[in-house]
Amino acid sequence: MKKLDKRLFRMIKNTKGQFIAVLAIIITGIFVFTAVNNSAKNLNDSINDYYIETNFADIFVKGSSLPEKLEKQLPGTNDIIDAEARIVFDTKFITDDKDENVNVRVISVDKYENKINKLFMKTGKRILDEKDAILIEQFAVARNINVGDEIKIKINGRQTSFNVSGIATSSEYAYMMENEQTMLPNPENFGVIYLEEDYLRKVYSSRGNFNEILLSVNDDDNIEKIADQLEDNLDEYGVSRVIKKSDQLSNNMLSQEISGLEMMSQSIPVVFLAFAGIMLASMLSRIVKKDRTSIGVLKALGFTDGEIVVHYLKYAAIVGITGGLTGSIFGTALSGVMTSYYLVFFSIPMLTVKVYYYRILISVVLSLLFCIISGFLGVRGIVRINPAESMKPESPKKGKRLLVENIKFFWNHIPFSWKMVIRNIFREKKKFVFIGAAVAITCGMMIMTIWMIDIIDVMFNRHYSEFSKVQYNISFDSFKDESVLSEFAEAVKVDDMEGRIELPFEIENGRYSKIVNVIGLNEDTVFYGFRDMKNNKVQVPSQGILLSSNLANSLNANVGDVILLNNFVSDDEAFVTVKGIINQTLGINGYMSIDYLNEQFLDKRIINGVYINSDEDVPNKLDDMKNINVQSQNDMKLAFEEFTAVTAMSMGFMVVFSGLLGFVIVYSMTLMSINERTLEFSSLRVMGFSKKEIFNMLIRENMIMTVIGIISGIPVGLWLVKYLGDAFTTDIYTMKEPVNPKSIFISIILTIIFIILAQLMTYAKIHKLDFMQALKNRIS
Amino acid sequence: MNEIVLKVENLSKNYQMGEVTVKALEDVSLDAVKGEFIVILGPSGSGKSTLLNIIGGMDTPTSGNVYFNDEHITNMSDKDLTLYRRNKIGFVFQFYNLMATLTAKENVELAAELCENAIDIDEVMESVGLGGRKDHFPSQMSGGEQQRVAIARAVAKNPQILLCDEPTGALDFETGIQILKVLKDVNEIYKNTVIVITHNASIAQMADKVIKMRSGKITDISINESPIPAERIEW
Repeated sequence: MKKLDKRLFRMIKNTKGQFIAVLAIIITGIFVFTAVNNSAKNLNDSINDYYIETNFADIFVKGSSLPEKLEKQLPGTNDIIDAEARIVFDTKFITDDKDENVNVRVISVDKYENKINKLFMKTGKRILDEKDAILIEQFAVARNINVGDEIKIKINGRQTSFNVSGIATSSEYAYMMENEQTMLPNPENFGVIYLEEDYLRKVYSSRGNFNEILLSVNDDDNIEKIADQLEDNLDEYGVSRVIKKSDQLSNNMLSQEISGLEMMSQSIPVVFLAFAGIMLASMLSRIVKKDRTSIGVLKALGFTDGEIVVHYLKYAAIVGITGGLTGSIFGTALSGVMTSYYLVFFSIPMLTVKVYYYRILISVVLSLLFCIISGFLGVRGIVRINPAESMKPESPKKGKRLLVENIKFFWNHIPFSWKMVIRNIFREKKKFVFIGAAVAITCGMMIMTIWMIDIIDVMFNRHYSEFSKVQYNISFDSFKDESVLSEFAEAVKVDDMEGRIELPFEIENGRYSKIVNVIGLNEDTVFYGFRDMKNNKVQVPSQGILLSSNLANSLNANVGDVILLNNFVSDDEAFVTVKGIINQTLGINGYMSIDYLNEQFLDKRIINGVYINSDEDVPNKLDDMKNINVQSQNDMKLAFEEFTAVTAMSMGFMVVFSGLLGFVIVYSMTLMSINERTLEFSSLRVMGFSKKEIFNMLIRENMIMTVIGIISGIPVGLWLVKYLGDAFTTDIYTMKEPVNPKSIFISIILTIIFIILAQLMTYAKIHKLDFMQALKNRIS
Repeated sequence: MNEIVLKVENLSKNYQMGEVTVKALEDVSLDAVKGEFIVILGPSGSGKSTLLNIIGGMDTPTSGNVYFNDEHITNMSDKDLTLYRRNKIGFVFQFYNLMATLTAKENVELAAELCENAIDIDEVMESVGLGGRKDHFPSQMSGGEQQRVAIARAVAKNPQILLCDEPTGALDFETGIQILKVLKDVNEIYKNTVIVITHNASIAQMADKVIKMRSGKITDISINESPIPAERIEW
């Protein structure tokens, strides 16, 4: 090994604290980049393969009476390749526990094989007889149902038994949510059952018609156009909704997750790599400064500038290669764990965890390039070192008075040790700005993380306790007269009960449009607590509509605007005035008075659902009622609690990563400071300063920057919260909640804890330093 | 006939200190013959280090010429000056300036790796009396030992000129004498020209040629007809 390389490795050994520190930040950056990016790629590739394998539908048409002939008529028109009609309805799953409320979605499938949305069989056989059922895997696993078991569901109000002939997954239910309002999969209480098509047409359908058609199209780019044309062309068959693949619930959730991962993989590593780069540049420039005489000697011996620059750049290259390799290997390993973690939420049988060697290579090359560039910025001063000059001690920097010294009242009243602290900060402005920035980012990221923990809680708790006060939401298969409410009142001892209408509408405001469910409610409803964005109570207007804030944003609508509502069922349209914009954290909806909605679009006194609050076991009490679906808010709350337990782990990682950044930077910069100022500290020791007093001086310097960093970190955190809130606000979540002062306080405390830990680590270094040796040491 | 390896002609070097021009060297001329042991004597601030740095290609003059074996080094580019230092010159500094993280032998090897006709490392280490301390780090050695390593490092490159800047300046009398003896031995064994700058007049007694400087000028150049061995020097 060349002697210069030997010197390099010993230099690394001598600066191991700082080397490990900068390496830790690079590893973290590359680790997050690889882990998250690979997970996104794994997830994306797996779901695409799954969609291709199962021929996932491009368009879902929902209607009340879709004839079989459409299966033959539609292909060939409008760029449609294939069409498949099916019957879909929700019903009650009968369990031994009478207190349990379990809903299932029954879907008809071909006896042998579907053309679109094929089932991916896990066990059992695909061929279905009349009394056979194929169960979706998540539900079967959650309820411990196996092939050969008997299950009971209600069809047309009658309890019907089926033999479980197979267990399968479906690309349509990779993320198995009952509907937009449920937010989370709850496989114990909601599942999907596939029954033979001819059998269902006999026992369930009216005149053998279907209520859904799945379509495959030739070109994905045309989906939007084809969907629009279908809405018009299929009007006569009572089409209630045309859903594009991109809006399909499970696919939408998956796409959001993948784009969220991609965004995260691009933002967090950039912060870490930027700090690592600044730290590496600063570290190398200080090493070069310290090695000034050695560099002069090397030049005197005949080494060229290039050779010496390369010698020091190898330090950066080793950081880059080690960091890139370690980070990407750990990241790849974690991406496996992370991808498997998605199995908690997403059922993707073809989920493959691949090792992308080219991505490891890209990470290493990226990290290497990044470190070389940062390193070069740090070592470029080598060229300016004159060998003859370098043998002499460097002339002291020009001393000058600080501006603050002109404030005589302040300056004359602070102790000498504080004067030194302030002068040191101004003497090394760049270093302290860097420490301040690191603390600010740490504090900002803490605020963002704590806010995320809070917002998930706030979103669900506010939605299910303050916003929606519905204990049981009962949906009917069809419209019924309001008089049906008396049947419910007889069956259940209700505290509160209201009929409601929930219908999909296409809402237009100029060039903006959106398909959402509009809910018709009593004007004095007790089931919703509407508040506007300023937290003022809002009443359901007798005329006009209330929009959730995310709906108002998508439609670019304000209070007073007149918007067009187009109803799929009656094909009526009406202009309606926006009377209010309400704060709704989960879901996207419009709300109208039930009378006004009926008057504009339907007949008087009809409803398609009922809200009930009762202390009784409502699902059990309504057991005998036909064609209803009962949703319990309590089940959703339980599912949410399970979800928060899983997310707590990832939030914990975020807290550690954020803290690590501040810890490492403060630790290594203080270490650098100690190494450079040994002569200064030695002189102080000779003057009679104790080790503790010198340490206190360092602490004061860092604490001033910590305070400044924390103060600047608060707006950084608020900006991150806004950025994240905007990025994550979708049709399903609205993350516009302001940061709670308590969250800021917790973030500050956590930041201070990490900084104190870093300081304590440096005390050991101060204690071990041989100050007297430093005074007589002349070896370069 | 004595072969001239180094020729300095009318060399001047000015430094600008604010509005004042400081003349570090003024019209300095001298010759150095192959194998000669030269001592440049002068008080602090007389310009001897500046002269040494220019001869060694570490600094450039304001005017004048330096020739090494008829090569005009004052006209050389940075790259050529580096090659000149690499292949022709050896430096010994007052404060040794060893690489702290390399052992004695590695410090010497570091220099030897640079040139093609380097001298055998073990032989050089023996010649400076460090055969048994090769694997020690500078921090484990005395000042005299460190200076021997510095001399070995300079000699290992087999330079034609060895430039020594106050080589005994940081050492006690006895160690200083030992170092001077090592320099003389090296001069005799490897037949290279040795130029020592010092403010210590006693060292001049062992020189073949003594050049005296004051205020940037050469005040006297004299040939010492009967140089004495280093061991007999006293100060």
